[in-house]
Amino acid sequence: MTSYFSNLPIIAILTPFLGAFLTALLGERKKLLIIEKCIPIATTFTSLTSLIFLIKPVLINKYIVTYWMGNWKPESQWAIGIGLEVDAFSLFIGLIIAAACFLSAVYSFRYMEEDNGLDKYYVLFQLLSASMIGFVLTGDVFNMYVMLEIMTFAAIALTSFRNHIYKSVEAGFKYIVIGSLGSSFILLGTALLYSQLHTLNIAQMAALLHGNYTPVSILALAFMLTGYAVKAFLVPCHTWPVDAHMAAPSSISMLLSGIMSKTGVYALVRILYMIYQSTGRPEMEFLIIFWGAVTMLVGITMAVVQTDFKRLLAFSSVSQIGYIMAGFGVGLSVNKGVAVVGTMGGLFHMLNHAAFKSLLFLCAGAVLHQTGTTDLNKLGGLSKKMPYTTAFFIIGTLSISGIPPFNGFVSKWLIYQATFEAGYAPVTIIALIASVLTLASLVKVIQSVFFGQLREEHKDVKEVPLTMRIPMMILSAICIFVGVFPHIVSKYLIEPAAFSIYNIGSYIDVMFGKGYAVKMFKETVSIPSMNYTLAGYWNPASWLILFVILLIALILFFSFGYKTTNSKVVDDLINTRYETFTGGEKESYNHLGENDMFWGMRQDFGRYFKFIKNAHSGVVNDYVLWVVTTCALVTIYLFTLM
Amino acid sequence: MLFNYIGSFLIIIFGLYIIIVKKNLIKIVIGMSLIDAGINLLLISIGFRQGGTAPIFISDLKPGAFFVDPVPQALTLTSIVIGACVTALALSLVIKIKAHYGSIDADKVRRLNG
Repeated sequence: MTSYFSNLPIIAILTPFLGAFLTALLGERKKLLIIEKCIPIATTFTSLTSLIFLIKPVLINKYIVTYWMGNWKPESQWAIGIGLEVDAFSLFIGLIIAAACFLSAVYSFRYMEEDNGLDKYYVLFQLLSASMIGFVLTGDVFNMYVMLEIMTFAAIALTSFRNHIYKSVEAGFKYIVIGSLGSSFILLGTALLYSQLHTLNIAQMAALLHGNYTPVSILALAFMLTGYAVKAFLVPCHTWPVDAHMAAPSSISMLLSGIMSKTGVYALVRILYMIYQSTGRPEMEFLIIFWGAVTMLVGITMAVVQTDFKRLLAFSSVSQIGYIMAGFGVGLSVNKGVAVVGTMGGLFHMLNHAAFKSLLFLCAGAVLHQTGTTDLNKLGGLSKKMPYTTAFFIIGTLSISGIPPFNGFVSKWLIYQATFEAGYAPVTIIALIASVLTLASLVKVIQSVFFGQLREEHKDVKEVPLTMRIPMMILSAICIFVGVFPHIVSKYLIEPAAFSIYNIGSYIDVMFGKGYAVKMFKETVSIPSMNYTLAGYWNPASWLILFVILLIALILFFSFGYKTTNSKVVDDLINTRYETFTGGEKESYNHLGENDMFWGMRQDFGRYFKFIKNAHSGVVNDYVLWVVTTCALVTIYLFTLM
Repeated sequence: MLFNYIGSFLIIIFGLYIIIVKKNLIKIVIGMSLIDAGINLLLISIGFRQGGTAPIFISDLKPGAFFVDPVPQALTLTSIVIGACVTALALSLVIKIKAHYGSIDADKVRRLNG
């Protein structure tokens, strides 16, 4: 594996930035609006194509692309400039980001037409796209921080873009407080790490930090883990995205939920696998898997009780990030065969989550655009009026819950298998339960939005225009394609990316000359072989085992319910629905309707749901306290065990 | 030098305390600025060398003169700019919150909960 110089990464980063400045110069003029709408489509498409041109050298020929900004090359093997470094992992995430930004730009074309101030929207949109691409392509820790800040600001401003609605403003404020706290932690970690190593280059940090942890670098790790956990919204730092995704325009919710969370995961993987080289450390593996499992469970149980369409999707997004983290947690395992399956599962789920979550948010946007509300209690029967959106939403639902012919199944299967093989069987069970609940919560949405009684006020609703349908079509096509041909995707995308995550030696060598990594490490870096002996996708026998486990989980789940409903009778107003219908007098209270499919389950686990709902109090101080507590706990954990 | 590090972490902790305890949204913004200030102090302290001169290449350097580390200074500059942006954006959001909610008390600005 040798280095390969190319200008394409910097073109991919700079084109949307230039487009942003150009859009800002054009200003808010009615005549130029059509040009302003086309600029982001053009710039994001340019980024996408320049990254597609990198597929051949990086993913197929296995080069690592480097580019030193301003040609400030390392001076006697010491990095002094900012270097861009694109390996297969960066390119993989970069491609997902660029493709999603392009689709979002196409979707915005008609979706945003009723808003004013569109020039500002597109400036921020392009800043967001450019900084996300820059974040994954850079090879410098501080550059990552700067890109992260641009990303955060653009995202905050876009969250509160519709600032005539109260929830946009409130969500924006919560986002800025918690988000900038996370950024502060990241900067603090970076500063502490710089004080130890006197370099900011990722490759050089990895080379210098190998095997000589100091207390300061462990503290830095704790700060950076917490900071990026805020960006990747791991529980309990998951409170801002839910508000933000709910309040932002749907074209932006799609980017925030489907794509921006990936940048946080990307950074966590870079820090753990590359800079700190935690592979083979059981305590780190346990921390990440545990964190992932908690995230899965809390995210999905919160999703079940939501009554707002987009808020529900945001909470289920939180739980999906838990799956990804569990996969990457297994990737740190000593057992290389299992580790590879875990990493591949995590990577695969990143791709799939980007596809189906974007699709679901675009469907939510379509419903919002045509009806003006996302409240589940005010919607119903849209399937006849919006058949395409309904079909896309059902595809998205089946994908996210891991139903076999769709893409979610492949990655979830890998994660189930990896966690089970690594000896974390409880996590596998949690993952399965979370999967069932995902299906449950989204079936609730399908039931109450698309089926059932059509509301009087939505008699004249029409299907969304074609430019909004095309992105949804492409995303559903991706969902089906990846699900039907997982081997092709895995061979050309996932496998090189997983290989590059473990290939630390080459990552360092291409920046500082051949042999540098071996000189610093005093040993060759071993790379696990990417074999499929453990990856059992489409294996009927394994599918049967999964089915049995699901069945047992369901039976257990419902047996809880029977006990509580029979043992005590609660006599509040809502419980009149348990009574026999005799006359007509109780009818008005009997609103166990289409939007309340899981009322019984909510009642059975009432105490838990009440507790968890009250915990999300909406007070920004509490949320900050959660983040700080997480930081403290991670610090204590790391200092005790490392 | 140790004093600098203790001071910077104290400022960060004060900032965190303000964000967690104070309910006034403007005070929360002040707390955020305080955290930024603490990190800036830490960065500058990391780059400082006792007796070093400013890191500018000039022809008539005294023999034996050495520079302080220029990289943390560049980082601090970036961090200051970002901090100013955070404050400005957050305060503008507080103005909007006041318009919508009629209050800047964190306990009242909690319609998005659960």
